[in-house]
Amino acid sequence: MSTNSIKLIASDVHRGLAELVAKRLGLRLTPSELKRDSTGEVQFSIAESVRDEDIFIICQIGSGVVNDRVIELLIMINACKTASARRIAVILPNFPYARQDRKDKSRAPITAKLMADMLTTAGCNHVITMDLHASQIQGFFDVPVDNLYAEPSVVRYIKEKINYKDAIIISPDAGGAKRAAGLADRLDLNFALIHKERARANEVSRMVLVGDVTDKICVIVDDMADTCGTLAKAAEVLLDHGAKEVIAIVTHGILSGNAINNINNSKLTKVVCTNTVPFEEKLKLCPKLDTIDVSAVLAESIRRLHNGESISYLFKNAPL
Amino acid sequence: MRDLVVLGGSSHPQLTRTICRNLTIEQGVVTSTKFSNGETSIEVQDSVREKDVFIVQSGCGDVNDNFIELLIMIAACKTASARRVTAVLPLFPYSRQPDVPHAASLTGAPSLATKKDHYTFDSAPGTPRPLSRNDTLTGIASENDSYPNAPPTLSLNTGASNGLGLLGKATINNMRPTAIERSQSANRIFTPRSIVTNSASTNIPTVDAYGKTESGYKQWIAQNGTLIANLLMTAGADRLITMDLHDPQFQGFFNIPVDNLYSRPLLKHYILDYIPNYQECVIVSPDSGGAKRAIAVADSLGCSFALIHKERRAKVAKAPPSTNATSTPMTTNPNAILSSSVAGFNSANPSMIATTMLVGDVKDKVCVLIDDLVDTSYTITRAAKLLKDQGATYVYALVTHGVFSGDAINRVNKSAIDKVITTNSVPQIERMRLLGSDKFEVLDVSRILAESIRRIHNGESVSMLFDHGW
Repeated sequence: MSTNSIKLIASDVHRGLAELVAKRLGLRLTPSELKRDSTGEVQFSIAESVRDEDIFIICQIGSGVVNDRVIELLIMINACKTASARRIAVILPNFPYARQDRKDKSRAPITAKLMADMLTTAGCNHVITMDLHASQIQGFFDVPVDNLYAEPSVVRYIKEKINYKDAIIISPDAGGAKRAAGLADRLDLNFALIHKERARANEVSRMVLVGDVTDKICVIVDDMADTCGTLAKAAEVLLDHGAKEVIAIVTHGILSGNAINNINNSKLTKVVCTNTVPFEEKLKLCPKLDTIDVSAVLAESIRRLHNGESISYLFKNAPL
Repeated sequence: MRDLVVLGGSSHPQLTRTICRNLTIEQGVVTSTKFSNGETSIEVQDSVREKDVFIVQSGCGDVNDNFIELLIMIAACKTASARRVTAVLPLFPYSRQPDVPHAASLTGAPSLATKKDHYTFDSAPGTPRPLSRNDTLTGIASENDSYPNAPPTLSLNTGASNGLGLLGKATINNMRPTAIERSQSANRIFTPRSIVTNSASTNIPTVDAYGKTESGYKQWIAQNGTLIANLLMTAGADRLITMDLHDPQFQGFFNIPVDNLYSRPLLKHYILDYIPNYQECVIVSPDSGGAKRAIAVADSLGCSFALIHKERRAKVAKAPPSTNATSTPMTTNPNAILSSSVAGFNSANPSMIATTMLVGDVKDKVCVLIDDLVDTSYTITRAAKLLKDQGATYVYALVTHGVFSGDAINRVNKSAIDKVITTNSVPQIERMRLLGSDKFEVLDVSRILAESIRRIHNGESVSMLFDHGW
């Protein structure tokens, strides 16, 4: 049997993370070409043989034309499958439609399940993702899903960049309490919770703080920041309760809509996102933004997956 | 009609509305919105429990967005306990599958144009063909060129026979260089010289006209048809209605029933009713792939038929020898041109060999071009020009799916086509405004679709629609 190797494939948009991962692994991205014709249909071609190779498709899906990115990804997966790749693993750090994970009202679709089905239908054999909105989404798949955690990277960031002895970890909603509590435990810090009553999606109504934040550096931890309305409002609530400053750390900085304005006008000192979602251009618009690089975690998971090593080490430790 | 729900996607709301009007039912209410991050949110407002649901979504506009929207709608109905979900796709997305990647740098044409070209030129599987074609090509070329390659072939033969005549180790020693020599000379004779490209996409190896890189690796385009079929089935579609599929084989990609409706009766009626002296007109297929479709129309009307055959356009290299190596067989082999009844030979651009040729007589005739899909309109406008050059008096273009992407409408407007007739399988209101009603006519397919929905819902035969239309 021939030796198979890692082939990294990335879409032509948002190659930033893919290039970081490739550099980290000492590989180059496999030359490929994605063409959109005038009707908007996508054609994909790989300029190298991928027969019997271990394919890793790195796909960053942020805000904007999500559906186009999804179809492109599916076509890329299918192209590798029909080109006789041995295994196709998709690195999808920010899982699209992760929030539509249940039938929350009558006749609402469970789109996350549909996404899972579509990925496996296209021919994906393995999914690597990060901080899934609900880890139960793993159960939507018939193929192995490795849900990596940004937590070790976040812990390192807090230790290095924030005077964390005075800090307190805040969860902006009840759903994220577990995540925040876990982080607080790792750092041996206190933890508080903001309870919010949500009227409609992307809208926030009333907020109640549970816990004492007086004279503390508040670190709000969440898995996703979309319009940042919640974060801005939470910052106000925290400062009203005597907090010294408020920093937000989110895994997926989708930052859609008027998020940048919301952040700039808010009382947040800093908003830190990992680079699972491309937001380079937003970084220029907003001085309060900061990045945590998770490419090392993804690269290490690719290496371990390829070599058949355990990935669970990465759940607690971030490679340097 | 009990238990029938027709829902519409955002691609073509007018069509959904007219279908519902034809069925005399209220359209089901769906709210399709976007979250601020661009994800699609679907809410089906009416109950669909144990209902027979039809979802109308055409593969036009923002194709990928609309397709995902359709998938989500299907999944939403499925999870909402719909009895049966039928996807109605008047224009099927990703129905054209080029088997050779287009290389814009080869023809120098904009990438919008080349895709369609490559499809219509070459609809057979590409892998074994290029080499054999070039074999025959160079064979003919070497005969014509007063044996420029004969001496190496001769020495190769003698070398081989000498090697065979020798004994033991000497044979091996002699055989090896001859083998190399043979392969080298074979390369020199048979390999098509790769064309130097000025491709802007730097990390892509240069690809020749048959999709081969210099290393011999055959680059290919991902074939999306099966994927699209599988996605629809995965989402939960139980049945599919579409119209004039570009490849009828597409039906085989599905494990669910696919009803491929035809617009042919509709087009036929147009010719019968609106083209004066239709018996005198010539039905023309703008490419060989659509010949069958056009012949069917011509036969049923008793009209004569002509075919435009479009060879692959290849760039003429500067040096004369490589012209032989890169150009298509039709242009290098004079016998082929003579043997086929060629009425016209059109070279629009001096730097291209545009081997478009017309088979059949159109002089002083009214021509009716028939095609299933017009996208960039390169094919059809080129065909119209050729027809006019050959003496056609008036050129109609009858097209089922008028996609008209990019600057196609402008191209059609400036072209030799006198009238375009298409259907509303994709929204045409904007085009109507641009071209005006004396140059552009839209036939309504909502009645065919509505009738097929009614028949499928009632479990009646659909095949009657294939021949008689509605």
